[in-house]
Amino acid sequence: MRTKIKHLFSDTHLLTIWGIFVITLLIMAILKPADYFTFMNVKSIIYQFPEYGILAFGMMACMVAGGIDLSLVGIMNFTGVIAALIVKNMAGTEVTGSTYLIIAFACIVAVVLGGLCGAFNGFIIGYFKIPAMLVTLCGLQLYTGLAYGITGGPAINGMVDPFKNIANGTIGEIPYVLFIFIIVLCIVAFVMKCTVLGNEIYFMGSNASAAKYSGMNILKITVITHMFSGILGGVSGILITSHLNSGKSSNGTTYTLLTLLIAVLGGVHPDGGKGRVIGVCTATILLQFIANAFGLLHMDDNAKTFANGCLLVAALLFDVYLDRKAEKRARIKAAAENENS
Amino acid sequence: MSDEIFLKLEGIRKSFGGVHALQGVDLEIRKGEVHCLAGENGCGKSTLIKAISGVHEPDEGKIWIDGEEVKNMKPMDAINRGIQVIYQDFAVFPNLSVAENIALNGELKSKAKFVNWKSVRKIALEAMDQIGANIDPDIKLERLSVANKQMVAICRAIINDAKLLILDEPTTALTAREVEKLWDIIRSLKAKGIAIMIVNHKLDEIYQIADRLTILRNGKYISSGDIHAYDQVRFTQDMTGHDVVETKYSPAQSNEEVLRVENLGRKGAFSGVSFTLNKGDVLGITGLLGSGRGEIGEALFGLAPADEGEIYLNGKKIEIGSVNDAMKNEIGYVPEDRLTQGLFMERSILDNTIAASIKKYMKRGKLDGAGMEGDTERWVKEIGIKTPSIKPPVRTLSGGNAQKVVIAKWLNTHPKLFILDGPTVGVDVGAKSEIHAILHDLANKGIGIIIISDDLVELVKNCNKIVIMKDGKCSGIIDNSIDEVSLGKLLIGAGGEANE
Amino acid sequence: MNKKNGNLKLALTGTHMILIYVMVIFCVVAAIRQPAFLSPATIINLSRAAIFTMCFAICEMVVIISGGIDVSFPAVGCVAMYVPLWLYNHDMGVDSVYFFFGVAILVGIVFGILNGILVSIMKLPPLIATLATSSVAAGGLIMILGTREYTTLPDSLEALYEINLLTYVDPTTGFSYPLTILVLVPIILCIVVALVMRYTMLGRGIYAIGGDKNAARIAGFNVRKLQFVAYIFCAVMASATAMIYVTLMHSSTTTALMGEEMIIIAACVVGGCRLTGGHGGVGGTILGVVLITLVQNNLNMLGVPTCWQTFAVGLVLLLGAVLSSVQAKRISDMGKV
Repeated sequence: MRTKIKHLFSDTHLLTIWGIFVITLLIMAILKPADYFTFMNVKSIIYQFPEYGILAFGMMACMVAGGIDLSLVGIMNFTGVIAALIVKNMAGTEVTGSTYLIIAFACIVAVVLGGLCGAFNGFIIGYFKIPAMLVTLCGLQLYTGLAYGITGGPAINGMVDPFKNIANGTIGEIPYVLFIFIIVLCIVAFVMKCTVLGNEIYFMGSNASAAKYSGMNILKITVITHMFSGILGGVSGILITSHLNSGKSSNGTTYTLLTLLIAVLGGVHPDGGKGRVIGVCTATILLQFIANAFGLLHMDDNAKTFANGCLLVAALLFDVYLDRKAEKRARIKAAAENENS
Repeated sequence: MSDEIFLKLEGIRKSFGGVHALQGVDLEIRKGEVHCLAGENGCGKSTLIKAISGVHEPDEGKIWIDGEEVKNMKPMDAINRGIQVIYQDFAVFPNLSVAENIALNGELKSKAKFVNWKSVRKIALEAMDQIGANIDPDIKLERLSVANKQMVAICRAIINDAKLLILDEPTTALTAREVEKLWDIIRSLKAKGIAIMIVNHKLDEIYQIADRLTILRNGKYISSGDIHAYDQVRFTQDMTGHDVVETKYSPAQSNEEVLRVENLGRKGAFSGVSFTLNKGDVLGITGLLGSGRGEIGEALFGLAPADEGEIYLNGKKIEIGSVNDAMKNEIGYVPEDRLTQGLFMERSILDNTIAASIKKYMKRGKLDGAGMEGDTERWVKEIGIKTPSIKPPVRTLSGGNAQKVVIAKWLNTHPKLFILDGPTVGVDVGAKSEIHAILHDLANKGIGIIIISDDLVELVKNCNKIVIMKDGKCSGIIDNSIDEVSLGKLLIGAGGEANE
Repeated sequence: MNKKNGNLKLALTGTHMILIYVMVIFCVVAAIRQPAFLSPATIINLSRAAIFTMCFAICEMVVIISGGIDVSFPAVGCVAMYVPLWLYNHDMGVDSVYFFFGVAILVGIVFGILNGILVSIMKLPPLIATLATSSVAAGGLIMILGTREYTTLPDSLEALYEINLLTYVDPTTGFSYPLTILVLVPIILCIVVALVMRYTMLGRGIYAIGGDKNAARIAGFNVRKLQFVAYIFCAVMASATAMIYVTLMHSSTTTALMGEEMIIIAACVVGGCRLTGGHGGVGGTILGVVLITLVQNNLNMLGVPTCWQTFAVGLVLLLGAVLSSVQAKRISDMGKV
């Protein structure tokens, strides 16, 4: 029995998120059962979360590595604008045989560009040893500026229908984006858990100096981590451009805060080295369920921002509380051992 | 030195959450004496300092300062009564100027609201004058060497009418010359009637400076007395609780060469170092701080690659230009600073054990978790890491067990050459000998072992060849037929100071 | 002798001097391309544009020196500029400059305390703690008070707006360029903060905790109190600045300042503040702000099209960050004394 509790204790953070999830569902079951628990509603939730959920994975990878990526939204919009430009200029408005090829090409370009942007961030961080926060802050300005410069201000609209369908189409009744999200989720989970790179990211985030003394190449890992994050930014760029059918430098500006919130709420430690993909995934979905609930209750979008901020503080304070408790436990345990010996 | 007692402690006890850090410690410090507090790591020295300086309040026991019993002492009370502590990291501000670092505490103590920069400078210059330091008062502290930072810390301590100055392991990061200078300063302070307590565990240094000595072991008071009442045998006995065992490591003679280094050098660090290591050999490298002993290890592991000379491993010439090259050539390295460079404190024993060898678990595009667990469990058993499982984070382990995890990390890469910088720093006596036994075993299996250390006893007992470094050059290679005292003399080297 | 040369060389190639070189080059190029750049009107426009940036940058500088960071000040500023006008328009206020600024400062104190609690007592990472405060402030404001834009100023603020220090009339075009009295606020603020940071134990304490918190504690500083002072000062001054913004811009919205934090932090860093704390000063921050304002407002004079200006500013910031990191490395490589 005691070991079972201990086992649960090791993942209280995940439990907390599930707890909030259940509470949200319960509240909605009481307030708006007829509207909330419908297939249509779940579908609308599914349309929303993948674009920032994927960004949150990028944020998570960088935070686990001991840094942060504030430039994700910039990368997202930059790559989105490029993809939109390629599709618009090359595919026109008529669907022909080459349309799909062009869209595929646009997507590849977006992802590659995202990777390059991220790698650039990572190189500046690792080579000049500048705090990731500052570099990615500049990166946000740079990539947003690039997107703005290329578009010249107005949004790029009116892409051909198949491009629009990436984020708005369905297979049967299930939106494509859910599959895209699941594929990305699996890739991220695999990379973080089952590859050398993923493990090296965790090691570097725990103690960069010890990682260096264990033969890991810190610069290389930093560059690859941010490149990985940039690639996810590129994927997200395609999704948001397709979803809104518009490429613009100022799409989704609230996502920076939102992804940071998701990552921390999902149990990613701000100092690096800790964080699970499953936690981030759960936090993403949870936040969309809450946002959706606020929408159905006709509450302001800003009530959501407010609630998100409160949730962030609450989650962090809870973590601090758990840390202190665990510390106390360890100390008492050490004392007991000392007594025995 | 007078016989007047400045500080007296009686029966001090202190425990943290059930851990008895101090179990009845007595201490007596006289005015104007240099008193040495000795003991192995974890014996309660730092807790005792904190009790004296008012940081920790003892659970039991009495403290007299200047003949007056003090109760509920707070840090400010201790400072007001003239007790000043210089911690190992000096607790100075890297971003402030030298003058400000010296004068700031005094200003704080006087509860001044404003800063008078003229008087700050004056105070600083006066304080530096008192101990004969000559540092530009206007430069930022981050630009100073360790020794000068220590000067600044001493200056800061003495301007506040210090009557007792406590120095926590003041010599660990100093070169021989700097240690001499520190002793000069301490003698001049002593002449002014200031009592000085030095925490140290190196006998040769204690002999140079101390008047009296107190030894602690496992939080208990062991003995105290005039420095001349201690010879080496009694000192070691009181420190460790064991008699000095005079067994030395002597492997079977072999001519099978494992490592040969010829004329190795790196500009500005060391040059012309040559030695060979045969099968079964445990090679020691020693020297004073700044002699280049640590740099050889860093060069062999590619952290700061050598720019001249040749390295042969198992008869094959190898190039080491980066850590990656070293890893490819199957070289392992245990860094000096276990906490920040050796271990991932928050991660499990499992993670730490496979940290350097994670690439070999990549099987069919996926990491082999079962393989990692199996290997970790094998090492835990083989080198005797005391832990209920491989899951708990390393920070829950004791110093000795944690160091064994670092060793396990490298053994799991199956190195051909294994370099250890300070392998038993902060490790208790029992684990120390276990670690040495592991190393001897490895050496007999044909793995080249290099121990870099300033612990002369450790070297003499465990290495059969010792390379002595001096001023970046190899000043001799000896076998272990000498004792640590004569080895210590070799390090300083007769007439050696003249070459500088 | 040698040492003196070294110090002179260091002074001539220091971060501050490089900023000045860059500014001079920028001005020369701008003046060659557009002779109109050399008119007093440019200076008046620049100082108007720099009022808010300067005030915000000084606030942020204090927090960065103390070893923290505050990204909540735009949101707090929005609350502080919105609440007084909301109260006034709902007949809950008096038409007085003291009332408007008083309420704004009160708002600042509340959020400053919140930041202080999260950072110094709860020990949360400053970036995340202030981000949370930011979303609580911005979200809560709109949720409770709704979104409106107040574009007509109460009489007292209008009167304040009308006070000008001097007015320059361009002889050729006949346009007049008034310089508002409020330009004195950043000037006074800079002087006061510079004096406090240099000549009081409070200021030195903030440097000390930024340099090494543990050493500061041992020396006897009240670390918690100093952190509180830094965050409350930042929030209060940001709130007062927000009221100045309302006065000068004739507009109070719930989102007017959002997004400012990036530029402000960058201005501090370019001016020599290190994000790790303990380094930087008013002089450098002024240079950083002037450079950024100059670049932001006059890029078109260098022939950079408007739409590329965001990118150009980003580039300048990145170069500044790289430069200061190279400088720091150079100093640490210079060898120990």
